[in-house]
Amino acid sequence: MIVEGTYALPGSPEAIWDLLMDPEVLAKAMPGTRRLDRVAPNRYEGTMGVGIGPITAAEFDLVIEVTDIQRPLSYTMQIDSKGRFGFSRGTARVELTPDGAGSSMRYRADLQVGGKIAGLGQRLLDSVSKMLLRQGLEALHKELTARLT
Amino acid sequence: MKPPPFRYFRPRSLEEALAQLEREEAKPLAGGQSLIPAMNFRLASPGALVDLNEVQELAGISDANGTVRIGAMTRHAAVERDARIANRVPLLRETMPHIAHPQIRSRGTIGGSLAHADPAAELPAVILALDASLVIRSTGGERRVEAGDFFTGLFATALEPGELVTAVEIPAAPARTGWAFEEFARRHGDYALVGVAVRVTLDPKGRCESCRIVLLSVGDGPVMARSAMRSLEGVDLAPDAIREAADRAGSADIDPPADIHASAVYRRQLARVLTRRALTRAAARASETRQ
Repeated sequence: MIVEGTYALPGSPEAIWDLLMDPEVLAKAMPGTRRLDRVAPNRYEGTMGVGIGPITAAEFDLVIEVTDIQRPLSYTMQIDSKGRFGFSRGTARVELTPDGAGSSMRYRADLQVGGKIAGLGQRLLDSVSKMLLRQGLEALHKELTARLT
Repeated sequence: MKPPPFRYFRPRSLEEALAQLEREEAKPLAGGQSLIPAMNFRLASPGALVDLNEVQELAGISDANGTVRIGAMTRHAAVERDARIANRVPLLRETMPHIAHPQIRSRGTIGGSLAHADPAAELPAVILALDASLVIRSTGGERRVEAGDFFTGLFATALEPGELVTAVEIPAAPARTGWAFEEFARRHGDYALVGVAVRVTLDPKGRCESCRIVLLSVGDGPVMARSAMRSLEGVDLAPDAIREAADRAGSADIDPPADIHASAVYRRQLARVLTRRALTRAAARASETRQ
């Protein structure tokens, strides 16, 4: 599954780079994250629980590694999550371009989703990921705005 | 598979049911056509179920002062066979056979389908096209929510914890109103790849006075094709106008998902074709009823 797009963020790439790498900010961008810790300079571990409608929130263990770092313009996240309902793994490439006083963020994630969620929820994966992405980007925007002022 | 353990309540009155729904982790059980499979797959694990099947006051269809009221526990099959529904809400009658399979319709309920708010479900789109309202109760009292405000996202509704849909109320259609439902599924009874519910009302000169075009399976819930609807206001529903509106419905008005059954591009094309067919039929029916 490929998810891509662009989103306008407040603050220049230099101003927001450290915030984007802050586990607390990163957690806001991923709805359902319950805990996220930086366990090494570019490695994060945590748990998230995502429940949609009647589906009880299932807990996933999450590992994110940041690679290909071109501070402050781009990075790649290797994402690996697994839980009782399935797994997802893949990469998300993020590119920042200065845009006026803010930044334009280009993202492209290529994720594989497997297990029970993929088998039973196939028809909903696209809608669910769009919804989570929208919520995550809005929360990230809000968090950056709050932290930059 | 078998569901995880849960407590089970079988109230006999609405009052009793509402009190039991106050309990944390309690979920109402209506027809069980979505909830029970989700529990058996262990995707859903509510701590308690409040079974509404013995609550007689929640089932039944009534018709008073121009409003048709359908109790939440009324089965799809009962709506499908009801003569008042066929006469007064023909759009609903036309839609019923498209909903899943006869076995599911004999058990599934109107309120259950609306509260579940599956983006591929037919009823949310239809009640939005009909400008219906939902009657919602909790131990705190009763409120009414218009269909347009009820569906808030993917499997998400305006229902608060402890609240229950008790009925749907459908206002009488004005004179010179036509309607149509269309959907396309890979096999009959499958989740539709795209569906559309249309209602048009003509003015005395035969032009479109108001219309509703609501698509399903193209977003997080029922999606109103707003620019298509606007393009038809005050217009003669000639083939060109219908074609243009249908093109809008498949383009600017929706952002459909992709899955292994259909790409987003294919869903857009289906939305165009089905909207054109539905509008054409609805317009013809509206002119037939013109005096």
